Amino acid sequence: MNCQEFRKEFAEGGDQASLLAHPGECASCAALLAGHLRLRQGLRLLAAEERHAGAPARVELGLLAAFRSQHRLARRVQARQWWIPALSWALAACVLMAAALFLLRPHQPPPAHRGAAVEVASIAEAPDPYQAEEDDGFIAIPNARGLDPSEEVNVVRVEVPRSAMLEVGLAVSADRVSELVEADVMLGPDGLARAIRFLDEPAM
Amino acid sequence: MSVTPPETDDVLFGRLREGQEAAFVELYRRRQGAIYRYVLHMSRSQAVAEDIAQEVFLALLREGCGFDPDRGTLSGYLFGIARKLLLRQIERGRVDVPLEADVEDAAMPELAVESDVLEDLTRREGIEALRRAVATLPRRYREVVVLCDLEEVDYADAARVLGCPIGTVRSRLHRARALLLDKLHHERRPAPSVSTLNPIRCLT
Repeated sequence: MNCQEFRKEFAEGGDQASLLAHPGECASCAALLAGHLRLRQGLRLLAAEERHAGAPARVELGLLAAFRSQHRLARRVQARQWWIPALSWALAACVLMAAALFLLRPHQPPPAHRGAAVEVASIAEAPDPYQAEEDDGFIAIPNARGLDPSEEVNVVRVEVPRSAMLEVGLAVSADRVSELVEADVMLGPDGLARAIRFLDEPAM
Repeated sequence: MSVTPPETDDVLFGRLREGQEAAFVELYRRRQGAIYRYVLHMSRSQAVAEDIAQEVFLALLREGCGFDPDRGTLSGYLFGIARKLLLRQIERGRVDVPLEADVEDAAMPELAVESDVLEDLTRREGIEALRRAVATLPRRYREVVVLCDLEEVDYADAARVLGCPIGTVRSRLHRARALLLDKLHHERRPAPSVSTLNPIRCLT
């Protein structure tokens, strides 16, 4: 390394090892490097002397107050808002449960109009109202709409006064008019009675 | 007995984000001195240094402070904020900064080496002279001396703080040191006043 290269490297802050190699050959460059190193040493002493200088304590106190108020505020906001996610979850759970109940509930027919209901017979047992009179003793109720064979029906067992037998043209002795008699009432899909069968008819 | 190594700045910053006051205090005490001294050297005002040190750490407390450990050190980040705040103060005229002499390469002094000047640097008066010399450096040279020589910020961090390449930091530092030696030389041997000069020939 010659003097020119040394000075160029020196100006660019080149690596210390290569800089130290040249000055041994040149007094001028050696003095330059020595001056540089001495200046660095002086700067280090200056830095060491200033090392303890810092912002006054009030700055730290002010910052701590700012830190505390910021985090107190954040905690307060968190504490105030804890119920919002809880409520959201509860509402979501309710909606899910309602949806599940709706989807899983069994399909039920619309409720039938009942008088003094005793029991409901199965649809399979329901007789054809047009043949009931002959086959099962069902008598069509006057003025009631007729039933199509495809219509679903329900049969309800009720107790009615014997006077009801008069309505369908059956004879009832005068002294027994007020007695109750068991009967099966056939209901159409609209819940209205279409036919009736008196169970103790022979005994009247 | 094992000694627990001190937590890194990044770890402390993480704890600070979790709201741990002790981490903030530790981080502040570790870094405030350098920030305060840097601003003090650059502004020559204790009030400005105090204000900016406070502002820097308040910025750190903010939620979106913008510090990213992957992009640099926390120290560099703090110096960067301090520098921006300082420049803002200078723009608003709140910091009394003397007009800078336009120091070009051609005008740069050699690293003048006088052994007596350099000997002084290890003495009390020498340190004071060096302090004065640093204070009168043009701002762009003063800040590299303060950052790299006095606060021992590495060149890469200094380059990030100053927003320039590392090569620029190196060359500015070299020029700054040359200027310092020149100032020290002139302080020790002030230019002779006109009255002390002996005229040789009158040219008019």
